Amino acid sequence: MVRLGMVIDLKRCASCHTCTAACKAEHHTPPGVFWAKVIRVESGKYPTVIRQGLPLLCMNCAEPECEKVCPTGATEKRPDGIVTVDSSKCVGCRYCSVACPYGARCFAEDWKDYFTGDRRPSSAFAAHSRKMWLEESDRGVVSKCNFCADRIAEGQNPACVDACPCEARVFGDLEDPESEVSQLIKKRRGRQLHPEYDTDASVYYLPAR
Amino acid sequence: MVKTSCGMCYGTCTVDVRVKDGIIVGIEGDPDSPQGYGNICAKGLSAPMMMYDPSRLNYPMARTNPKKGIGVDPGWKRISWDEAMKLLTSKLKECIERDPRGLYTVGSPTFPAERAFNILCFRKAFGTPNYYTGGGGLHCGNGAHMIGGIYHASWSIIPDFKYCNLAVYWGCSKGHGAGHAANVAAKQAADAKARGMRLIVFDPFLSTQASSAEEWVPIKAGTDAAAALSMVNLLVNDYNLCDEEYLKRKTNGPYLVGQDGLYVRDKTSGLPLVWNIVDNGPKAFSSAGIEDCALTGDFEVDGERCAPSFQLLKEHLKKYSPEYASGICGVPASTLRRIAREFGEEAMIGSTITIDGKVLPYRPVASIYFRGSQGHYNQAWDCMSLVLPNHIVGAADVPGGALAFGPPVHLGYPGTGRLKYSVEPDKDGLLVARNWPYSHLPYPPPEPRDPPQRLDLQDMFYIPTYTTIMAWDSNEELWEKFKIPYRPDVMISFATNQIMSVGNPRTLLNNFLKKFRFIVSFNIYSTEFEEAAADLVLPDTCFLERYASATTFPTVGVSCHATGLGEWVWAIRQPIVEPMAERRPMIDVILDLSERLGLRDEYLEAVREWVDRAYGGDIDLKKAIGPEEKLSFEKILDLVMKDRFGEEKGLDWFKEHGYLKWPKRVEEVYWRAFNDVRVPIYLEWIIRAGRKSRAVAEKYGVPDLVDWSAHTALPDWRPCPTHAEKNPEYDLEAFYWRSALHTYSMTMQNPWLNEISQNDPYTYTIQLNTDTGRRKGVKEGDFVWLENPKGSKARGRVHLTDGIRPDHVAIAANAGHWGRGLPIAKGKGVFFNELIEVDREHSCPVSLGQDICVKVKLYKDGGA
Repeated sequence: MVRLGMVIDLKRCASCHTCTAACKAEHHTPPGVFWAKVIRVESGKYPTVIRQGLPLLCMNCAEPECEKVCPTGATEKRPDGIVTVDSSKCVGCRYCSVACPYGARCFAEDWKDYFTGDRRPSSAFAAHSRKMWLEESDRGVVSKCNFCADRIAEGQNPACVDACPCEARVFGDLEDPESEVSQLIKKRRGRQLHPEYDTDASVYYLPAR
Repeated sequence: MVKTSCGMCYGTCTVDVRVKDGIIVGIEGDPDSPQGYGNICAKGLSAPMMMYDPSRLNYPMARTNPKKGIGVDPGWKRISWDEAMKLLTSKLKECIERDPRGLYTVGSPTFPAERAFNILCFRKAFGTPNYYTGGGGLHCGNGAHMIGGIYHASWSIIPDFKYCNLAVYWGCSKGHGAGHAANVAAKQAADAKARGMRLIVFDPFLSTQASSAEEWVPIKAGTDAAAALSMVNLLVNDYNLCDEEYLKRKTNGPYLVGQDGLYVRDKTSGLPLVWNIVDNGPKAFSSAGIEDCALTGDFEVDGERCAPSFQLLKEHLKKYSPEYASGICGVPASTLRRIAREFGEEAMIGSTITIDGKVLPYRPVASIYFRGSQGHYNQAWDCMSLVLPNHIVGAADVPGGALAFGPPVHLGYPGTGRLKYSVEPDKDGLLVARNWPYSHLPYPPPEPRDPPQRLDLQDMFYIPTYTTIMAWDSNEELWEKFKIPYRPDVMISFATNQIMSVGNPRTLLNNFLKKFRFIVSFNIYSTEFEEAAADLVLPDTCFLERYASATTFPTVGVSCHATGLGEWVWAIRQPIVEPMAERRPMIDVILDLSERLGLRDEYLEAVREWVDRAYGGDIDLKKAIGPEEKLSFEKILDLVMKDRFGEEKGLDWFKEHGYLKWPKRVEEVYWRAFNDVRVPIYLEWIIRAGRKSRAVAEKYGVPDLVDWSAHTALPDWRPCPTHAEKNPEYDLEAFYWRSALHTYSMTMQNPWLNEISQNDPYTYTIQLNTDTGRRKGVKEGDFVWLENPKGSKARGRVHLTDGIRPDHVAIAANAGHWGRGLPIAKGKGVFFNELIEVDREHSCPVSLGQDICVKVKLYKDGGA
């Protein structure tokens, strides 16, 4: 059985936000919606301080908390491990947003134009974005990263993986012990975020130091 | 899918642009182009939001409000292109009649290829010497670039990521997602980190590169030279970790220097002498049979006492003890000792590596500087001090070391042998760059103009690319004294926002911009500059709507190739879609103007000169383009490309393929070992060049134009004015940094980049040390004022962090917009330039580059 997952090498990551923009460009998400983002975690006291950039996205967990709380069955885990949201079933209750320990879920009342804040697109590009977004997510629903399921279906990598200038991201099958992701996790001691929640996340991080 | 060169910064990555129903819908990196190898950045991905921004300029607009000033509503009135061209042509004709030198041209460094044709060639054709750069502006690197040119024949340096084991960064971000060859460098840097290259970053704050480094060394702003010179002192005087072979053969270290500080020269040949150890006597440096020469000792030649310049450097450095330097830079002496030793030992002096059958020196260390460390009063010598460690251990343009951008040697495109250029020695044996796109070569120094012709007096100096003198309070007095017969008349600006990205906006506006009779700006937005100062605004195309010649050549310039072995690439920029509304590529307007003004031949000659110098080759455009033929940029590009790459590779070929690539050779990348050129560890020629410039200044009654005592041969740290601030109220050193999310002031109007910046804790805030904040009663998110001793103020939101020195505050550059034409950028971030001064006291006495550090006091908004 295939289980799709991602490895993010924090040693390679330069916190440049390319993943954030690649996601935006791929999915035409409206203002306020970030399926991918980079946060910075600071620890220690000056001058012995460490600042770690941490790229975040949906962890597409093997034990997704969001799925458990979804009252309508809109959130489902596919056989390949990708956790999806069926926008036709989502009622926008946002229980999932509360349940997700990674803050991966976004809610948008409606599509809005980036320049005007209006429902009416301000350009042909914005009209294209609106169409793409509404096809993908509709309005008044919760949305999130799905590892670019459409791209994967066409044999491509998720957009953030292809765009990353530091080549910090690798995508593949976590179940296959010979896959690059599995090998990296093993050799570099990849770790999931918040293992204490027993979500068995499908995104692994390789240590920076 | 159309291939072009990204124009969201000067990294010019090759991108594939997706078009659907005539609309640009997506951009991705081109996987096979050496300029990016498929990688792209947040800025490039956000380009459609610039293309389709409803705030873009779509029509020519004329100012109706005669009042100019910051915050003034210009009262734009839409006019036709026909009216605009008539107006502009008449203003330029009047300028020619008065004095063509009254034309001031300004161009953005983000688009060097376009700038060359739009601004540099037109300026030359028009007959004005006046030019400066906006955008990155005088933030930019007079010191950094010229020192790069003198020591590496290149705009800047970068570690040889493939082999380097220890890189020391001084206020620079190479390989962290921005700037030169951004995306290839990011991959190379990530590969190097994964391989085990260690990075040590000297910076007042925990920059992105410092946070991913093995060690962050918090240093006081503007003191890098003191730290670096102490490290060189340790290498030379304590640890004896010098590459003597390199110093003897690749530097002027053995050249004998007399009591007057100048070389002792051979009486007949005039060549500098070295002391030949074998026959114990002086010999011209280039004589045959010098098997070994002295680097140290005292000698006598014709009764005059002299010593090798290395001996002078060695003695000079002794005052830079780690303890002395520590008192200046705030870095513990023990840290300086440790890093100096690591650098010297890691250099593996004497070791070699074989690449492609060539045995080369292997020096896997690099001392790398850029914008941060050079923004200071002493910037020329700061940069010299920071590049010096590489030349003490021989880690310059050899595997593992500090490599020149470019590289500056290209043995020719294999198909035609064209596009060929190299470095060469001058008569004194010193390195001369031959592929240099800017106003004068870094070396040898040009003769000063007497009297100077330019309003910024740049042409009476020898290092500056431009100066800020035209905006000093004393400018009129200086123009008077230097007998400059003309005054500012017309300004043509290409893609700049001078109000936000040059220096103090009020000083620039009142002392300089307001003196112009007429200012025309070609831009994509009406920025703070157009609002405050422009009379006519013309809607330019963005990079997705226009051509550019070669975004990766000249190789040593702003838009460089990735370092190391790999591939050369000649990539073009081409229109993906037709220009929207009435936008016109500036080059089309310039060609039209050249014809209207009767400057057609002059323009073609200027293009010929520039193209041949920058792209290597010879092409007579006046012959190739018939006298009756209407000038077309596409035709010019076609001619240039066919001349370089052969008949079958004209513009059509490039439009289809986007770029042409061919392999780099070892002799090009690691050129230092293959070329008999030396670099000056003792800048003897600065003494001579400085005397000449000084003589001009004295002749016209301005003996103290700059501090001439800095025009000397040996490096020193000199304090910035801010270091001498005595009032304890001004207890914080403010400095700016450049966010990888932005390209100067251009990108903050981009709503994606803006939103990411808003979510990022640093880009739009004032970074303040947590303890300092507590001491001052300032909490996270508080609004505060920063005020300099002259009362200039900037307001912003505080982000408390332990990642900054307690005595410093950091602000991201070019934020804090207020222009009506930039509704997304408006009100975001902090406007740093308000705090800095444009005057003699804040100009480097050698490079005339601007000092941008400033002492401030901090108080809460609403407090005092």
